[in-house]
Amino acid sequence: MSDKFVIEIKKRPWYEWILWAIWLFLLIFIYQNAVGSAHELEARAATIFWISFVVVALGGVVVWFVRRNK
Amino acid sequence: MSEDGKSQLTRRDFLKLAGLGAAATAVTTVAGSAKPVEASFRGAPFSDPAGRPKRPWWVKTVDKPTTEIDWNMMQRFNERTGSVRGPGMAGYVGPMEVDRLSEAATRNEKQRMLDNVDGYTLKDQALRAAHVGVGRSFLGPQKARTPEQREVPKWTGTPEEASKIVRAAMRHFGASTIGFMELDDNTRKLIYGVDPDGKELIFTDEDEAYETDDARYIPNKCKYVIVYTVQMSVETMRRCPTALASQTTTMAYTRGEAIQAGGQEFLRGLGYQGLSESTTNALGISPAMGVLAGLGEMSRVNRMISPEFGPMVRVHKILTDLPLAVDKPIDAGIMEFCKRCKKCAEACPSESLSFLDEPTWETQGDWNNPGHKAYFENAVTCMQYWREHAGTNCGICFAVCPFTKKDKAWIHEWVKAGSATAPFLINFFRSMDDAFGYGVQASAEEWWNLDLPEYGIDTNQAVSER
Repeated sequence: MSDKFVIEIKKRPWYEWILWAIWLFLLIFIYQNAVGSAHELEARAATIFWISFVVVALGGVVVWFVRRNK
Repeated sequence: MSEDGKSQLTRRDFLKLAGLGAAATAVTTVAGSAKPVEASFRGAPFSDPAGRPKRPWWVKTVDKPTTEIDWNMMQRFNERTGSVRGPGMAGYVGPMEVDRLSEAATRNEKQRMLDNVDGYTLKDQALRAAHVGVGRSFLGPQKARTPEQREVPKWTGTPEEASKIVRAAMRHFGASTIGFMELDDNTRKLIYGVDPDGKELIFTDEDEAYETDDARYIPNKCKYVIVYTVQMSVETMRRCPTALASQTTTMAYTRGEAIQAGGQEFLRGLGYQGLSESTTNALGISPAMGVLAGLGEMSRVNRMISPEFGPMVRVHKILTDLPLAVDKPIDAGIMEFCKRCKKCAEACPSESLSFLDEPTWETQGDWNNPGHKAYFENAVTCMQYWREHAGTNCGICFAVCPFTKKDKAWIHEWVKAGSATAPFLINFFRSMDDAFGYGVQASAEEWWNLDLPEYGIDTNQAVSER
């Protein structure tokens, strides 16, 4: 059994942080439009934005879980 | 990560996720409440010496309006015989047809009330009939004390200062947006030759305006025009064509009466004249004046569309001898949008709106005033539909317009900015407007269950641009 451990730390590439920032902005944008559309009494628009919000949010979470194990 | 390489949510990961979730919640909460925070700045001082509103970056001031004008072709319009609203309609279709349409409207109104047709019930008709205004007059109520009566000099200041206080006063009275233009040899052609009641409108070198049994006299020095809009309720208009929706315009006109009287009396109190509409839509061509005063652009509905409220405004005007700092027309990409959208024309039940790709000099009839390149409408078939089928006014073209939007969702501002700067996106935006269900007729009965703000409008709309 070896006495040494090798810990490899991979730095995330810079563009990944930009992609996450875009994802977060998109999430906020969709959320605002969902809430705003509900205030505007635009039921169909609000529904579409809420569905989009859930899809984008879940998409991000799934990608995060997949990538964190690589 | 566990030893076998499978994903498991550790306590550390859980805390990370919780932190991320909390941060996202905080950010979105701030984003969602951004509008009320901006609204609190409404009382901030005007940033412009003339009180001009700070508008979105995509609303550009231009030297010439986006509607081409040939002033040589234009003549002062006879509103008495030209318009389809008054006795002019009989000139186009004959008195027999006018009588037939009136009978049909009366018959339908009663039957729909008896049948409890959505939007035409007794309570809808009662609401429609309930708007009682202060009335309109060319010279104003003339009740406010003048500086002369107060034995003080009349108000004086620079045109910018005058514009600022007039803007503040007009908004205080209930106007949504206010702009100023000046009458010259060309633009005075926008003043009717004959008012709806048959009185001539005559420019004179005399100092004081006056009115006789046959004419209204406008001093040449009253060359400044205060043009203002009165916002209409989207929530009632989207229920058109019904009696409930019809009272949207009635209420805006009624509110406009008080705003007009207030404006005229304010000017009188300062020591100046305020000449305005003797009846609804009298004195001159409001949409054209609104365009020249930078309040909006002409459109496919052949009315003015404003960047802030779309077509959901009535436009009015007051002539004055108080020198004002005039405004420039704007280009917010509205006319360009109209060229490609055509949603109003497709929705028009009487097919009265133009489907042409480009605006034209050719009018549809004598109800249109030639001299500008526009999407001229068939006002006769429009009016026939009002009387025979709607039983009220219509408004579908206003309700379905993609610019008829409230301002709570950010997307609208993005779409307006996008279409103004990248016209190739307009067709896509139009498709999305349909897909998201904007402009779809809502139930009139449902309206009676809504807890809406005063007048059914949001007086904070576009406030962040002010």
